[in-house]
Amino acid sequence: MTAVDAPAPQAARAAGQTGAIHALTWLAVRQIRRGAIVVIVLAGGMSAMVATTYASTVGDTMDAAALAALAENPAIRTLFGQPVALDSAGGFTVWRTGTVLAVVVGVWALLAATRITRGAEDAGHWDLLLAGRIPLSTVVMRHATVVVTAALFTGVSTAAALTATGTPAAGATLHGAGVALVGVFFAAAATLAAQIFPHRAAASGATVALLGTGLLLRMVGDGVDGLGWLRWLSPFGLTAISRPYHDNRALPLVVLALASSALLVAIPAAAAHRDVRGGWFAPRTGRAPRLRLLGSIPGFALRRLLGPLTGWAAGVGVYYLLIGLLAVSMTDFLADNPRFADLAAQAGFAGLGSVEGYVAAMFVLLAIPAGVFAAVRVAATATAETDRRLTLLYAGPVTRLRFLTAETASTATGAVTLTATAGLATWIGARSIGAPLHLEAALAGAVNVLPIAALCLGAAVFALGWLPRAVSLVGSLPAVGGFLLQAIADSTGAPHWVGTLSPFTHLAPVPDLAPNWTASVGMLITAGAVAAVGAIGYHHRDLRT
Amino acid sequence: MDAFAVRTVGLIKRYGRLLALDALDLAVPAGSVFGFLGPNGAGKSTTIRLLLGMARPTAGYARIFGTDAQDVRVTHRSLAYVPADVALWPQLTGAETLELLGRTGPGVDRGYRDELVERFALDVSKPGRTYSTGNRQKVALVAAFATRAPLLVFDEPTSGLDPLMEREFQHAVAQARERGQTVFLSSHQLAEVESVCDRVAILRAGKLVEVADVANLRRLHRSQVEVTFAGTAPQLDGVPGVEAVERVGPTRLRFTLTGPPAPALRGLATADVTALTIHEPTLEEIFLDYYDEVSR
Ligand SMILES: Nc1ncnc2c1ncn2[C@@H]1O[C@H](COP(=O)(O)OP(=O)(O)OP(=O)(O)O)[C@@H](O)[C@H]1O
Ligand SMILES: [Mg+2]
Repeated sequence: MTAVDAPAPQAARAAGQTGAIHALTWLAVRQIRRGAIVVIVLAGGMSAMVATTYASTVGDTMDAAALAALAENPAIRTLFGQPVALDSAGGFTVWRTGTVLAVVVGVWALLAATRITRGAEDAGHWDLLLAGRIPLSTVVMRHATVVVTAALFTGVSTAAALTATGTPAAGATLHGAGVALVGVFFAAAATLAAQIFPHRAAASGATVALLGTGLLLRMVGDGVDGLGWLRWLSPFGLTAISRPYHDNRALPLVVLALASSALLVAIPAAAAHRDVRGGWFAPRTGRAPRLRLLGSIPGFALRRLLGPLTGWAAGVGVYYLLIGLLAVSMTDFLADNPRFADLAAQAGFAGLGSVEGYVAAMFVLLAIPAGVFAAVRVAATATAETDRRLTLLYAGPVTRLRFLTAETASTATGAVTLTATAGLATWIGARSIGAPLHLEAALAGAVNVLPIAALCLGAAVFALGWLPRAVSLVGSLPAVGGFLLQAIADSTGAPHWVGTLSPFTHLAPVPDLAPNWTASVGMLITAGAVAAVGAIGYHHRDLRT
Repeated sequence: MDAFAVRTVGLIKRYGRLLALDALDLAVPAGSVFGFLGPNGAGKSTTIRLLLGMARPTAGYARIFGTDAQDVRVTHRSLAYVPADVALWPQLTGAETLELLGRTGPGVDRGYRDELVERFALDVSKPGRTYSTGNRQKVALVAAFATRAPLLVFDEPTSGLDPLMEREFQHAVAQARERGQTVFLSSHQLAEVESVCDRVAILRAGKLVEVADVANLRRLHRSQVEVTFAGTAPQLDGVPGVEAVERVGPTRLRFTLTGPPAPALRGLATADVTALTIHEPTLEEIFLDYYDEVSR
């Protein structure tokens, strides 16, 4: 404020306030921009890719009878959503990528929102900020607005990509709006949860549970005739019944927009009446000590693993239970409709006609949560280091290598448990409807993805040593990047070697076929080597305390 | 065991182009309470992180009881540390944190730990996230003292403590000294340093500017002397240790005195001195003298 002719101090104060708000916005933008760009590019890229390759992959195999069969099958509807307008590139893209995209945008938005609000507040980064003249609710709303804006851009990117590839603008706009609103809804819900719960993990956990419930409602509503109304209760269901490229109904999205607005309006009210670093649910102020698993570094690593692992196992378990329950209905459908079996084979899911082939194809997807789990756990270690929670442990007589080994081993144990849970859940689901699936076969199929999870763990440890700021991004790359690479290579006719870069190309569909031992051992060795390079970096660098 | 609890030789630490520590040579005799002082950003915490093997030196080395500081499996068996900014696991209660640190650390004297919990008036049933700054520091202090480790490394351990707790801290340091433990204490609390430390080192912009016994520090410094006399002024020209001679009145003279006072007293004997005051500098003035030179 150097202006000498400022008419009144009030004006100067207002200008200062504006400057502070700008600084705040910039602070929030800087914290999410990398992830936001990835999600925005992914949304546009994935949509454009599927839409442009529609003619070559699907176009001529679709006829009215096939579509009717597809639309009637409850298993298909449950897993992928109700197929509408599959006879157009736009409609097919919505069906093929819509749910995945909405989940990706929703999960990113909720994690980003809790990280930059409650996470920053918990770490004390807001203490100085809040000592200034900006009130807590303004700071919270600013951060929420930035995440909401990023979510809106994912919708713009989706709609732009679909319009650019020549699909009708109305459908593209509606689908883009749906994707964006799912992101907005979960960003708002997460920010609200961050006002209610006194720490970040609880806020993220509650919102992830909300997202899981929404997804489940959508699946049940799509799959079971007569329960279709359940979809009105779920963000994913609302985007489904807006039926882009078919009916183009705006009402469901209006409902979603209103629900999101209600959440956004509730945020300042919830923030206004709480303490900084406090929540509505006050943490308990005293309890008797629980001394289990505090006696050693590996024990403590295990203790920190148990909570998050339970959450992940519950989510993955429910999903694979559903996969098991749908086994018969799905395989019968594909056996009766060979055209779809061909289509699925083109998309990398061969052998869907038998129960074992079907679960094998579904287990391939398990590599993604297992790999991301590994990356996120190592990222939590990196965060504990920056937040100085590890300082007192490092001051004990434990070498960094031993510490890293304990963290890696506990994460690996978690990944094994997670995949075994998925195998067990699938078996329980399949057995309860009488599908012929052996427990060993289910478990073998599930643990078959562990080499990819190991690659993620190795990459995450590498990042911990050399790029400690990007652990979750680098760690997720083998699973998420590999999956996308394979999908892109398969559907765009890229040179063969491009596809071979993806670990998924080397993953045998177990239990349908025997495991590819050579590839699995090769991946494990690669993972070990990458992790070793990471350990060297971790040993030699300064701790970021 | 080495006669020096801590020894650094030509220790250099660079952060990019910033030279945080410039060839530090330091020797802390075992059994002493060693104060480590300096203005903000002087490199105190950096030195401590190097001593703990948490940061890697650019050049030179540090030894703890004769073992290289990088070999933490050995060195950390004989030291305990309290950082400047204590962060606890939010979900662990104080008791759980103490248990974790006791069992993964260099050892623990449980009886003494319980006594310390009592003395520091620490409520150990609270989860980490609900502790105030001072209480977090107390958890770390209790854990460190309870190890009975031969070397205690403290980085501004009392910045958040109230005066009562500050007194308990000084009491615990005194007890540690009696048991022959070495204490390496970085602090901005000069009164605390004066009352607990045997020896101090002063660091400025990564360089050591002084290492001295606290008792000797005063002697190295100038005292202000003021004399009142009758008749002719005393002859002080060329007297060793006397500087800045100044007439402040017709019968009053002021000068500064460094080193032994005998020559000055002989000079004063040449006149009829009616009053003499010697103002010794406080430790605070001495430190500020050192710190001040930063801006010069
Ligand atoms: N990780 C780092 N990266 C870059 N520079 C650093 C890092 N850590 C410390 N420095 C710089 O090194 C110098 C010494 O910092 P240090 O923390 O050792 O100071 P200090 O003496 O402990 O100060 P204070 O009394 O404020 O605690 C400072 O200029 C600081 O900015
Ligand atoms: Mg410091």
